[in-house]
Amino acid sequence: MKPFDPERRDFLKKSALSAGSALVLGIAWSGEIVAETDATPEFKPNAWLKIDTHGVVTLYIAESEMGQGPFTSLSMLIAEELEVDWQKVQVEHAPLDPAYGFQGTGGSRSVRRNWKILREAGAVARQMLLAAGAEYLKAPVDRCQAQRSHITHRPSSKSVGYAELVGRAAEMPVPKGVTLKQPEDYRLIGTPVSRLDLADKLNGKARYGIDTKLPNMLYATIAQSPQFGGRVKRFNGAEIKQRPGIIDCFELEEGVVVVAQGTWQAFQARKALKIDWHGGKAAQLDSDNIIQRLSDETSQKPSLILEHGEPIAQLGSALKSVDTEYRLPFQAHMTPEPMNCTVGVEDGRYRIWAPTQSPTSAMATAAKALKALMPELSEAELEARIEIITPLLGGGFGRRIKQDYVTQAVKIAHHMKHSVQLIWPREEDVQHDHYHPLTQHRLRGSLDEAGNPQAWHHLITGLQSGKYGADALAYDIPHVRVEMLRLDSPVPIGPWRSVSNHYNAYAIEHFFDELARAGGQNPLELRLKLLKEARLKAVLQRAAEATAWQRQDQQRILGCAVHSSFGSHVAEIVELIRLDEHKLKLGKITCVIDCGIAINPDTIKAQLEGSVIYALGAALKPPIMLKNGRVEQHNFHDTPILSFEETPPIEVIISYSRLDPGGVGEPGVPPLAPALANALLSAHGKPVTRMPMKLNGAS
Amino acid sequence: MDLMAVTLHVNGSINQVEADSDIPLLWVLRDQLGLTGTKYSCGIGVCGSCMVLLDGMPAKACRITAAECAGKKITTIEGLADQADHPLLKSWLELQVPQCGYCQSGQIIMAYALLSEKHDPSADEIDQAMSQILCRCGTYPRVRQAIQQASEMMRAKDPS
Ligand code: FES
Ligand code: FES
Repeated sequence: MKPFDPERRDFLKKSALSAGSALVLGIAWSGEIVAETDATPEFKPNAWLKIDTHGVVTLYIAESEMGQGPFTSLSMLIAEELEVDWQKVQVEHAPLDPAYGFQGTGGSRSVRRNWKILREAGAVARQMLLAAGAEYLKAPVDRCQAQRSHITHRPSSKSVGYAELVGRAAEMPVPKGVTLKQPEDYRLIGTPVSRLDLADKLNGKARYGIDTKLPNMLYATIAQSPQFGGRVKRFNGAEIKQRPGIIDCFELEEGVVVVAQGTWQAFQARKALKIDWHGGKAAQLDSDNIIQRLSDETSQKPSLILEHGEPIAQLGSALKSVDTEYRLPFQAHMTPEPMNCTVGVEDGRYRIWAPTQSPTSAMATAAKALKALMPELSEAELEARIEIITPLLGGGFGRRIKQDYVTQAVKIAHHMKHSVQLIWPREEDVQHDHYHPLTQHRLRGSLDEAGNPQAWHHLITGLQSGKYGADALAYDIPHVRVEMLRLDSPVPIGPWRSVSNHYNAYAIEHFFDELARAGGQNPLELRLKLLKEARLKAVLQRAAEATAWQRQDQQRILGCAVHSSFGSHVAEIVELIRLDEHKLKLGKITCVIDCGIAINPDTIKAQLEGSVIYALGAALKPPIMLKNGRVEQHNFHDTPILSFEETPPIEVIISYSRLDPGGVGEPGVPPLAPALANALLSAHGKPVTRMPMKLNGAS
Repeated sequence: MDLMAVTLHVNGSINQVEADSDIPLLWVLRDQLGLTGTKYSCGIGVCGSCMVLLDGMPAKACRITAAECAGKKITTIEGLADQADHPLLKSWLELQVPQCGYCQSGQIIMAYALLSEKHDPSADEIDQAMSQILCRCGTYPRVRQAIQQASEMMRAKDPS
């Protein structure tokens, strides 16, 4: 990866989809557009790739790199069809450009949405290089072959490198249609390729948003109302401004801002702030009463998500039924890099280093913030003054879909008329997240005489909760109703790794075991009998074999769960080991995924390991608690994440497939908590109705 | 809070800085010396992403003042850059440990300190050292493997 240079003012505006060679449009920082004649020609057939006369291939990846590996996986898709020597590949984050469509990374979509486009982008370039190579070798194009950055005339073995063909290829017509390779011909896809972003992550050179340094930059931080919806009444601004190193202290709609010569001075001044707040509308709300209070206040009725058969009548007349209620708490993202954003201000222009999952949204957000401050300018004029640069992200997990830190940084930079870096201290990050919502699940089910589930009723009540994961029941049950009461939330809610699949899968998969046990059935075998999706059944079967499901006893207790999300199918089995009569410990966790064709298997394994650990932390560690309308937690000491020593052995199995790829960043999350709860149900005979779970003793 | 002149020996070079008497080393490294490889994540000594070596011993840069470090040898992740051949860094790359990478300076510095002290740490010793560095991406299984592999390589080279 190229070292990231904030001072690179000859920032190249990619002229998307033009097959031009020598002419690139450079936008100088001062704003005049200059047409530069680049001394060295290059071959740039589309927005995704460029080859120079040294044969160096630069790929432009438009997804945010936050550890999930799109810089590498997506580069593999282009390189596969381009038939390029992988050693010659370098990757850059694509600039914000309409050529890439909506630039936003989330929903485990990177590979799925680029799967076809990027292979085609590579194949187009290959076709043009083939045509150029054939001309150069004076050979018919159908006797030539592209391989390892060379065009070779097969009968004579004469060949020419891509480097020499750069000028000629740029002159070739862009082919209308291309033929993509068959899976059996893949050389890169399906092999464990080393990540292109890792070398710099071992030596301190990797640049995250928080590492941006601009000449004479000031450092800002913010104090937002601890109580959600609160407003500043008064604060000790004059006193704060007296502190050494403090440049300014002022109020924004969002809270009180301190600007200083260094991060430390800003953080210390923030601690010294004395702010009186107007109370927020959430003042009376606690985690324990919020669902009840908001449900009482609303006139809304639950909306139907799914219904077939006559579930309510069946439940009324059932011989045997189970009725249960689970409540799952708020969760924070705890991205390792706290929220931050750097804005360079010069001559009325704004260059914004936004560690965001969506540069497109960051642009819209920044333009909107500036529009409010400079209403005389049109949106288009404002956008022309803004440049969004996406550095590496120190974790995302959905948090960085939101752009609140961008709005604030733009407002602060505009106020100061100066380049500013805004950093939230961790305390601000924990108390002003966009949380995974608190949800409650009422589940009722009935069984026939043979102990098979007959009716199923799931009512989800949650704060801005979602239906994904509950909108298609995986099991063949004759009478089903799923409905949801989605409450407006005074607490900010946002996507969190796997979004609503996390709580919905918990409810469904844990209740399935409750029902199975009430019917005297083995939960795994009952799943295999009732699962409708063959691929889901297959991963469960595989997990059962890998863990020797049949070999359970008092000492070794297993729990399983399955879930399909983001186009992939996952089964997980959690093992508990009994140390003595009163003590259990986590054994191994086994995870089997069918994600269609595996692009970079090692990255997939890493994502599944990470997903299991993320979900295990949420299941076992103290969550975010709301008290009097504010979050009670502050930092990693009271919002702990799973640690090294708490992490059990994890085995990930990728099942072989040639089907189109599914997502891998999130699908490993949902099955974990219910698999663990199911193991605990087996061990203690009691369902787990609350998180965090306790391995020993009821929760 | 008075400004004072502090002399810091960082990665083999000597730096004179004007620093607040109570400013943690972390912010001098990041904001004044431009050594951004050392990361801020919690600021209260819990996460370990700001780990550096002080005279060879691991220390959290957010919990010690720059003034306390005067005269000591400070090594940051940037200071290990010329040791790409070190078994630890080789294993780290080979096992593709980092995900987002944000915690990795802390992980590597800690593992480096552990293996420098002892070429063959026990599983408990690895647990004890590495549990001080949090990783939200969940790279722990690979961190463990990389340390074990590096330890084997080091013992093969230098069976002491
Ligand atoms: S930033 Fe120093 S321990 Fe977390
Ligand atoms: S690699 Fe992302 S926090 Fe550790």
